[in-house]
Amino acid sequence: MLEIQNLHARVEEKEILRGLNLTVRPGEVHAIMGPNGSGKSTLANVLAGREDYEVTEGSISLEGEDLLEMEPEDRAHAGVFLAFQYPVEIPGVSNVYFLRSALNAIRKARGEEELDSLSFMKYIREKIKLLGLKDELLNRSVNEGFSGGEKKRNEIFQMAVLEPKLCVLDETDSGLDIDALQTVAAGVNALRSPDRAFIVVTHYQRLLNYIVPDYVHVMVEGRLVKSGGRELALELEEKGYQWIEQELAGQV
Amino acid sequence: MSALDTRYNTEQAALMAAVERRATDGPDWVQALRQRGMRIHAEHGIPTPRTEAWKYTPLRSVAERSWQAGEAGPAVFDFDLPQYTESAVRIVLVNGRFDRNLSDVPRLPGLTAMSLRDAWTEHPDLVREHLGQIARIEEHTMAALASALFQDGLFLHLKSQAVIESVIEIVHVTSGQDEVFAPRLLILAEDGAIARIVETYITDGDTTAMTLPVSEVVIGSRANIEHVRVQDEATSNIHLALWETRQAGNSEYRSYNVAFGAAIGRTDQGIDLQGEWCTTRLDGVVVGLGEQILDNHTRLDHALPNCNSFEIYKQVIGDRATVVFNGQIYVHPHAQKTDAKQTNQAILLSPTATINSKPQLEIFADDVKCTHGATVGQLEDLPLFYMRQRGVPKALAQSLLVYAFAAEVLELISMEEVRLRLEQRLFERLNPTNA
Repeated sequence: MLEIQNLHARVEEKEILRGLNLTVRPGEVHAIMGPNGSGKSTLANVLAGREDYEVTEGSISLEGEDLLEMEPEDRAHAGVFLAFQYPVEIPGVSNVYFLRSALNAIRKARGEEELDSLSFMKYIREKIKLLGLKDELLNRSVNEGFSGGEKKRNEIFQMAVLEPKLCVLDETDSGLDIDALQTVAAGVNALRSPDRAFIVVTHYQRLLNYIVPDYVHVMVEGRLVKSGGRELALELEEKGYQWIEQELAGQV
Repeated sequence: MSALDTRYNTEQAALMAAVERRATDGPDWVQALRQRGMRIHAEHGIPTPRTEAWKYTPLRSVAERSWQAGEAGPAVFDFDLPQYTESAVRIVLVNGRFDRNLSDVPRLPGLTAMSLRDAWTEHPDLVREHLGQIARIEEHTMAALASALFQDGLFLHLKSQAVIESVIEIVHVTSGQDEVFAPRLLILAEDGAIARIVETYITDGDTTAMTLPVSEVVIGSRANIEHVRVQDEATSNIHLALWETRQAGNSEYRSYNVAFGAAIGRTDQGIDLQGEWCTTRLDGVVVGLGEQILDNHTRLDHALPNCNSFEIYKQVIGDRATVVFNGQIYVHPHAQKTDAKQTNQAILLSPTATINSKPQLEIFADDVKCTHGATVGQLEDLPLFYMRQRGVPKALAQSLLVYAFAAEVLELISMEEVRLRLEQRLFERLNPTNA
């Protein structure tokens, strides 16, 4: 589904990704772990098409299409969803109006009929229960005045509504207490399906107790330096990232 | 006329002839107002860039055209006039004249809404006491011209303690080319009166006329008036307005200036707080696109203690448009315990858009709270990226963000149907293609 080859990217002249390779097949959950500053969030943002991140080398293809040639909204239409580490507050734009505009744009791109206001409300009321969010949040401005936990749940709620193919979760566990973490994880798990893939970017192993990955990759200095199964995450938790760094130094 | 330069005389010979003809129209006190307007306009003419208050409103192209004095407009229109609510008091003025057929004024206790021309014979004392007494035409040469030219207008009178539940909707239609129209409004809200007014200026197609409205509003003590003014004329028309209000003690006046239309549109709004414990809002929403020049000058005079005023202007400027904001607040020496807040914010949508913003606070009392803040910016990247990441196309995301920025002022309007219609109109204005 997703094929990343030799990806190099920089932010403001600073090279962050330095030759990253990753293949993700439908139905898989990949966790990307790594120390702060290793480039995990950069990868998430590059996948979504954020303009501040400049790709200097390499390629990304999604179902055979060149992702790097697409505008952020076209990537969303193609099925890419980024759950933000810091969801953005948008005063004056209601959650419900925003989400309907997004869903209808995606449906239109897929050649499906746009939903009118009534059928849209019916559709999202089912989804909102999934994340334990209050209905009244729908009519509030996007993320404005939401608690940290509500913002993260709102991200997963939007993901549930938009039904993407590739879900990228950027530090979705940061700032969550254990109850919120479980709700968010339950929301994600409910969306797991044979034709949907996940890339879960996280600093801590904790989230992976709830969202169990098929693969764990360790990122150091802009490259995936070690890959394994779920047990790799547990090992990292125990030994810390220094262990990998030392191991890498030993190889040289 | 001697003070006018010769070119002005030649270019505007037809207009000046009309001014002369109309000089004797109406009772002697109306004639006196006309003489006053004529004198002021003859002395100053159409403002040039040298006139400090008009520095950013270039009227050269206006001065170079030959104008005619406007005459009566059509009796019917092939489009629907704006209507916000079902059970409104509807008043329609066409080319500044009260139109009895298009208006629908139900009999409501305490309400009088009639042709100003009729009012000067039917209610001479009331009209004479106020007409021309509120508007400072000495400082506004175009309003002076309007005071010489006007033929009719609206007299809206709310008796003491009158409570008008229905929204009072006033629609001004301008129809014509190269003509000058001078709609005149006199609104008297006596002590304790309560009413909500929405005034809308539109044009009959792409007119190239000049609308020069002069509105005088008198708010009695303990009266409570909401007043929305919508300038939605064609972007080929010229609109230069003077809108002045006098507030007595304990009154509340909430005014909203919505400026979407006109090639050159300017509103000079002045409010004099002449009693204690007044509450005042003077807010604005401005959308300038294409080649539009939209200028809003506000003046707020805190003459007495213990009054609160709030002013928020939100301005969106795109393409090659120019928007001007000048907000004067005077706090006189006696006006202790004044609380005045002024905020004016602008978003520039293109590198060729221009904003000239000038807050002007002059405070002569020491125990007051006065704040002002002006910001000019562009759309932030992050909200835009967030929306696009969810699939919202860039153009729509941009207009939603711009809409949200500007709609914050509209949300303050208490007349729900008016607010909803204006929100829709704002969205259409920002998305000409989706409308």
